[in-house]
Amino acid sequence: METIQSAPTFEYDDLAPSSHSIEDENPFATMMASFDEAADRLGLDPDLYALLRKPDREIHVSLPTQLDDGTLAIFEGYRVQHNGGLGPYFGPLRLQPGLKIDELRALAGWMTWKCALLNIPFGGSAGGIRMSARRHTKGEVERAVRRYVSSLLGDIGPERDIFSSDLATNEQVMAWVMDTASMHARHTENAVVCGKPLMLGGTHGNVDAVAQGMRLIFAQALEFAGLPKKGARVIIQGTGRRGGNLAQLLVRDGHTIVGMSDVNGAIYNEKGLDVAAAVRARIEHGDLRKSSGSFEILPNEEMIERPCDVFIPCAVANVVHLRNARNIQCKLIVEGSHAAVSGRSDRILAERGIRVVPDILATGGGAVVNYFEWVQNRAGQSWLASEVQSNLERFMLDAWKEVSTLAKDQNLRLRHAAHMVAVKRVASADRLRGLYA
Amino acid sequence: MSQASTAHAPQAQGSEFNPFESMARNFNAAADKLGLDEGLREVLRRPDREVTVAIPVVMDNGKLEVFTGYRVQHNFSRGPCKGGIRYAPDVNLDEVRALSAWMTWKCAVVDVPFGGGKGGVICDPRKLSQGELERITRRYTSGILDILGPDRDVPAPDVNTNEQTMAWLMDTYSMHVRRTTTAVVTGKPIALGGSRGRREATGRGVMFVCREALKKLGMRPENTCVVVQGSGNVGGIGAELMHREGYKIVSISDMYGAIHNEKGLDIPAVMAHLKKNGKLAGFPGAKELTSAAALELPCEVLVPAATENQITSQNAERIQAKLIIEGANGPTTDAADKILEKKGVIVVPDILANAGGVTVSYFEWVQDRMGYFWTEEHVNTSLEQIMVKAFADVDAVANKYKCSMRIAAYILAIDRVSSVYKLRGVFA
Repeated sequence: METIQSAPTFEYDDLAPSSHSIEDENPFATMMASFDEAADRLGLDPDLYALLRKPDREIHVSLPTQLDDGTLAIFEGYRVQHNGGLGPYFGPLRLQPGLKIDELRALAGWMTWKCALLNIPFGGSAGGIRMSARRHTKGEVERAVRRYVSSLLGDIGPERDIFSSDLATNEQVMAWVMDTASMHARHTENAVVCGKPLMLGGTHGNVDAVAQGMRLIFAQALEFAGLPKKGARVIIQGTGRRGGNLAQLLVRDGHTIVGMSDVNGAIYNEKGLDVAAAVRARIEHGDLRKSSGSFEILPNEEMIERPCDVFIPCAVANVVHLRNARNIQCKLIVEGSHAAVSGRSDRILAERGIRVVPDILATGGGAVVNYFEWVQNRAGQSWLASEVQSNLERFMLDAWKEVSTLAKDQNLRLRHAAHMVAVKRVASADRLRGLYA
Repeated sequence: MSQASTAHAPQAQGSEFNPFESMARNFNAAADKLGLDEGLREVLRRPDREVTVAIPVVMDNGKLEVFTGYRVQHNFSRGPCKGGIRYAPDVNLDEVRALSAWMTWKCAVVDVPFGGGKGGVICDPRKLSQGELERITRRYTSGILDILGPDRDVPAPDVNTNEQTMAWLMDTYSMHVRRTTTAVVTGKPIALGGSRGRREATGRGVMFVCREALKKLGMRPENTCVVVQGSGNVGGIGAELMHREGYKIVSISDMYGAIHNEKGLDIPAVMAHLKKNGKLAGFPGAKELTSAAALELPCEVLVPAATENQITSQNAERIQAKLIIEGANGPTTDAADKILEKKGVIVVPDILANAGGVTVSYFEWVQDRMGYFWTEEHVNTSLEQIMVKAFADVDAVANKYKCSMRIAAYILAIDRVSSVYKLRGVFA
């Protein structure tokens, strides 16, 4: 198997579908809709509700950065810390030209629920710098990142707030973060950031953590949806670290990938695709369509409506929306990216009897392995790849069991059950700790 | 928690029934056998540090009341201090001192890297609202904040304090140090960094030491009748676990009395009955008797897991068990100890038998510091390793010095603390 190594260096806009959906739902609204619903079903008391709805802290910093031509650019940096009831904040750091605070708030909230759901002792946060990593040189990006880290020093650290890699923040960026924090702390401080290179305290299993986690959840979800254990016909959107690696794992498990896509377009063959060839084409030519084998070439949004057993969107948000939710032909959707199914189309799918495994559960493997990296750094120890894998299995399956049991017992959508488990855990921590005056 | 099972100790002076005086006598006997020099004896008799704080609290009626709180750190040469915090009207400094020393010995016997500490607030929790209790806890915590911390002093629940109290303490400490610090206290809810298997820890530890003691006597669980006194976290859970191991539990008691069936009780059914009715009496097919009378029933093993001073000079002669496992703190007086020794009864002392609680507290602290949480299975096997080793260590000392297991446990503990003290030297 060819594990796709590179961290996503493309920017958010690069992955947008070739045409935009009319109804672009605000990600914060989508996140809050899930939360509101869960809070409602749990009968959360109004005071706690108000508390959990707002981020604990938002930090906005200006980052004066010397450009290579000698001029000064002022970038803007943000960090949103949503809820610290369960432990230090933990969340992505991204470099994105169109970075919006609303998106970070949503992400931070998402991280809170995701960590709680997976029983990771972290709260959620998210942050980034509004800049294009592509349009600036390596040196300029490095200076902006280092300035960002030093501006936030009072609020980050292994026990305060931990970064994970995200859009345009690869191993190199994470190494700069670690070095900057370490120089200020006057000792090597590697637990402040996850997604580091292996030789600087990274962990085994980091590269395909999300895909491995999704594979475990996928197997459970098949059974839950009443589908056979083997031979599922699957469409995967996205051929990066998630989609590409997952496709190969599923083939190994005896499933058939009938459709795949990247930013350029999609390929489809109802008898099954040669996944290895497709991945090779993606790595070598940057284009799936240049793969060998027989298939038809389609636009991304057409592939989504083709027949299959399971659809796995691993690219962007709002892939399933009000316009196409009635045309989708699968029996099960496993969300491989945040809010791939928009809040309102989720209801339509439920009415049509299509089960949706929500993002916070399905993509949890990334957070779990990041958490393992932090544990190993603090212990000054390094786990074997097999240890990482078996512990990941424990965390994913425990979360799955909790969510699916609740969904069955109370006849709920998996998304609601997942958010209920998460919200309940955070709320009970907050309630136990009480208000500090 | 083992500490939590310590009912409030009477303050009678100079009698057989003061458990702290018997602890002091045990300490002296062990120190004599060890040949401990007078200087070190004096070091170990005195607490390293005592803090008394005034705790002003605005009560629900708007009036200001000032409570008194203590934290005593008996000895921190082996590591951070460990010990409970209790809320009771009759908390006093002498008692807190004695209990903190008790924790030093207990931690040393099971060889967890802690010294002993204890704390308390003079108040009557039955007369306080939740809000008042929270304000007392937070103000007490800020009062002693400078001597607390995962590397300084790690409190735990005790009489009238619980998971919620520990959560407030942890939150107050965390807000002051500006980061979530779960390792500052143990006995927390699982949601806030508590450990799996903690509730059952003391009972499970009792089961392990009992098994080791039986091996030593060449007995087997299937042929062993057991009388358990107490049906809470120690007695009840201990009885359930021992029942599962194949022991025949012939009697168990609660605060109202005991039930007895010489053919053996169906313990899971008994516990279900207790949960449903709030008392053991009325369990079908069992005779009822007083819990004092139950101690004298024919049996091989007696597990006093309720309160102190249950086996005394008055009833020791009539005890029929071959083996006593002290689930509670101080259930046997030292006058009774002498009688039992003469009769050849083996007593596994409290600081060994009920140390399962502090051991899993130690695991909680370890897990919090790692930020990684063990499965219940891992907690249980680690507990087993520690209890088995502690039993073997105490047994070896008892054979070497030809003394009771109680004195052996004290010898072992004092030796461990004093040798660390000598290695570190006196800091000037």
